[in-house]
Amino acid sequence: MRPLTPQRILWTCAGLFGVLFVVVVISLRMGAYPISVRDIVDTLYKAAAGRRDEVPVEFWQVVFGLRLPRIALGILVGASLSTAGAGFQALLRNPLADPYVLGVSSGAALGAIISLIAAPHVVGAIQIAAFIGAASTIAGVYFLGRRGGQLDSPTLLLAGIVAASFLSAIIMFLLTMVTGSELRSIAFWLMGDLTAPPPVTNVLGWLGFLFFVFIVAAGAMYTTSSDLNLILTGEQEARHLGVNVNRVKFVVYIAASVLTGLAVSVSGAIGYVGLLIPHVMRMFFGTDYRMLIPTAAIGGAIAIVLADTLARTVVAPTELPVGAMTALAGAPVFIYLMRRRMR
Amino acid sequence: MSAGAGGVALPASQPVAFAARPSLRLKVEQASYAYAASDRSAPKFTLGPVSFEAQQREIVAILGPNASGKSTLLKLLAGLLKPLSGRIEVDGAEVSQLDLRVRAQKIALVAQESELLFPLRVWEYVLQGRYPYGRRLRFESDEDCLLAGNALAQVGADALRDRWMDHLSGGEKQRVILARALVQQPSLLLLDEPTQHLDIGGKVELLRRLRRLADESRYSVIVVTHELNLAAEFSDRIVLLHKGKCPRIGTPAEVYQRELLEEVFDAPLEVEMGYSGRPRVILRGSH
Amino acid sequence: MGERPITRAARIFVLISFALVACAAGHAAETRPREGGRYKGADAGLRQAAANEKRETKNVTDETGRHVAIPPNVQRIVTLAPNLTETIYALGLEDKLAGDTSYCDTPPAAKLKPHVGSPQTPSLEAIVALHPDLVLATTSINRPETADALLRLGIAVYTSDPHTVRGMLDSIARMADLVAAGEHGATLVAQLQARLDAVHARIGDLPLVHVLFVVWEDPLITVGQNTFIADALRWSGAESAIVAEQNWPQLSVEEVVRVQPEYIVLTPNHSESDAANKSSDLEKLRARPAWKALKAVETGHVVVASDEFDRPAPGLIGAIEQLARELHPEAFALSEGGKTIVGGTHAAMETLTSDAAKKECVSCAL
Repeated sequence: MRPLTPQRILWTCAGLFGVLFVVVVISLRMGAYPISVRDIVDTLYKAAAGRRDEVPVEFWQVVFGLRLPRIALGILVGASLSTAGAGFQALLRNPLADPYVLGVSSGAALGAIISLIAAPHVVGAIQIAAFIGAASTIAGVYFLGRRGGQLDSPTLLLAGIVAASFLSAIIMFLLTMVTGSELRSIAFWLMGDLTAPPPVTNVLGWLGFLFFVFIVAAGAMYTTSSDLNLILTGEQEARHLGVNVNRVKFVVYIAASVLTGLAVSVSGAIGYVGLLIPHVMRMFFGTDYRMLIPTAAIGGAIAIVLADTLARTVVAPTELPVGAMTALAGAPVFIYLMRRRMR
Repeated sequence: MSAGAGGVALPASQPVAFAARPSLRLKVEQASYAYAASDRSAPKFTLGPVSFEAQQREIVAILGPNASGKSTLLKLLAGLLKPLSGRIEVDGAEVSQLDLRVRAQKIALVAQESELLFPLRVWEYVLQGRYPYGRRLRFESDEDCLLAGNALAQVGADALRDRWMDHLSGGEKQRVILARALVQQPSLLLLDEPTQHLDIGGKVELLRRLRRLADESRYSVIVVTHELNLAAEFSDRIVLLHKGKCPRIGTPAEVYQRELLEEVFDAPLEVEMGYSGRPRVILRGSH
Repeated sequence: MGERPITRAARIFVLISFALVACAAGHAAETRPREGGRYKGADAGLRQAAANEKRETKNVTDETGRHVAIPPNVQRIVTLAPNLTETIYALGLEDKLAGDTSYCDTPPAAKLKPHVGSPQTPSLEAIVALHPDLVLATTSINRPETADALLRLGIAVYTSDPHTVRGMLDSIARMADLVAAGEHGATLVAQLQARLDAVHARIGDLPLVHVLFVVWEDPLITVGQNTFIADALRWSGAESAIVAEQNWPQLSVEEVVRVQPEYIVLTPNHSESDAANKSSDLEKLRARPAWKALKAVETGHVVVASDEFDRPAPGLIGAIEQLARELHPEAFALSEGGKTIVGGTHAAMETLTSDAAKKECVSCAL
């Protein structure tokens, strides 16, 4: 009997952070523009020391203009999607749940498409519209998914599926009405794109804001991790043990939906990560949510940064969308996990 | 209730000093309940009023045929329903008004378990019973582990400690669930038809274990059942329910009167005195 | 739960494999050959930046409304679309072309230039690696996000937005100005305009032929009123029989049968020549059930436009001439050694019978 301790969680996360660090270094190193690790480190150091004018323009462009923002965004999106996926799998009592099953991504996509049609060149419109779409879907599905005033898992799942289908139908209709150039933008956005420019010029501030939202939402979900462990052995049993099941479900629903909306607004719908990373982390570290939530977050970050690096180097100089890479890698992993469960 | 050495077995013969009626665990006073399809229609079902008490170390059986109100009464006792009138108190506190976690510290309910979604080891499952104590996001302490180990020993499931929950047999699983309930250190242990899926050997084993646990514990055991003979054999008192009413409460000998049982269970029955001095019920005409 | 040995082993395995991948990747990246845009060291970037800041930069507004600061001495251009590449070659500026996309194949020499990827997803890093002074993009094939990203990096991007043939000529003139090749531009534009006027002189009074311009056969997609293809059709003496506000309306064949266009204009694959294609295309259409009902198919009024037709580049003029001749054959006559300027594709070239006429064909340098 070796119960989970905070120390073990911290050491595991430290190890995973190490892996993430290695992956980030690799990702910084790879790309069409040839730049050595020494030069990268030099650029970073000089940037930190405030000596920007000593850095060649192109180094700055590549490291801070292209690679680092992508990596930072990838970390954020990967962590958000995996954490949301873990939350939804517990909330819906369904191992096949992913962050998009409740229609949040369809709502965000609809918002993005409407903004692309109505206000194509307004900076930041697409992110804001996507987030509004996500938020509306979250609220709508919440009210549809209640039964007797409380969130009921099967009803919630049905409500989400219905919402997703309905919104997808509207999206398809709009796509037929749209002219050429917007169509291209939408298609890429839907496939998942980490290169979208930020809506404000202060990239660092924007990234900081996004990470803040992530920490708040993921943190809120983490406070319910003990509760989730109990709920996973049965809702009634959890109630009898003193878990406020309705409150926990509400918190997890909001937190996971916010995380999904955040990820989708920023980078479109990148698939498979939210579904698979929680399962992979369970395989390595167990099903206790006190360990699963942080490891899934870091694991998701690693996965997306890896996928993005591959997406931009595998058929260079053409760039594949990140979503294509996660699907390519995700499908075999999914099959493997399914077969393992059958055993 | 202190979270002291509650799980450690006390020899039954050791004299313990109590203050005035501190051993009264459960007090049900004129509790009643009713529910209707809607606010305007007549009540579809009413229960009560019911009154009884349970002391520590007692096993009380709530006995009755299907649809007699047993589960409703159980839910009232567990605090899941609020009584329409009357009071239900555990350790002197009105149950339906207790905070969720405090209630879980006082009342442990053993019901049919749901299917597990992800694999879980037995000791992890049992440790979850410590949830009501401490903070919401908590990590198990050494004391928790000690209590869990004791509980597993008490139910004879010590060897199952490292097994996976979904690899257990029905009987083994039920022992583990019982251990989790014990780890809550409750004042009231409620069991909802615990012998349902067990064969006769399993039923007897479970009730013997409950009897032993009750004898050595500080809590009351309430068992909801429709098994006439097992209830008579193992319980101290019986609360008989029939269509929402409570025709009799008493010891098995007092409650098991032929005419009463025949009316309640709607079957031709015969009541005999068994070897242990407790009544035994058989079908009439099957000598 | 204890840390299982598999967990530890898995972590070690993962770390080792990452290390291996990192070494391999580093090695691969270093040995990949790169033409033209070879990185010459930190100084190149620094020198560029310094040089740009010394002189005055031109502030222009491109055709999408973006404000762009063009460096005064543009030596290195990157084009993000085939029509832009073609324009650069037509302006005689191919020496300044540092890179183009993998789709750029007109003229064939463009295929040998360093590639930055596809027009839809070019690699921003590859573009940066080519140290461009100016990047050319167009709304007809590039995504606005690409131009936005490059501008944010401080790279000048001029995006053209062609809707009409005359608009395209204006674009060419403006782009030529940006790279200090204004005279080339003016000459080219004048030549192209002259050819357009010549065509208009011949067919301007004739009624427009109703055609169905087939962008894609299955599903059937044609062009809307606001595309430059529609404008090019008008210059060719034709008009799309389908009126639509969308750029690429999708229709069913029944709608075409209802409208009964006089001609069907197909667009070819790159690999097949026009003459060989024509008869096989007609046979294919005749074999299709719904298409058989079209009068145009019955009477053999199926023409194949040059593949230059859907590209806003100088070659479009030749394509217009060719289509005009196919649709209004009676209005055209080849005069031996005369001043009539004819142009067109290779196939049309074969029909020119004198060297003099061939010489006067300006765009026949393909």
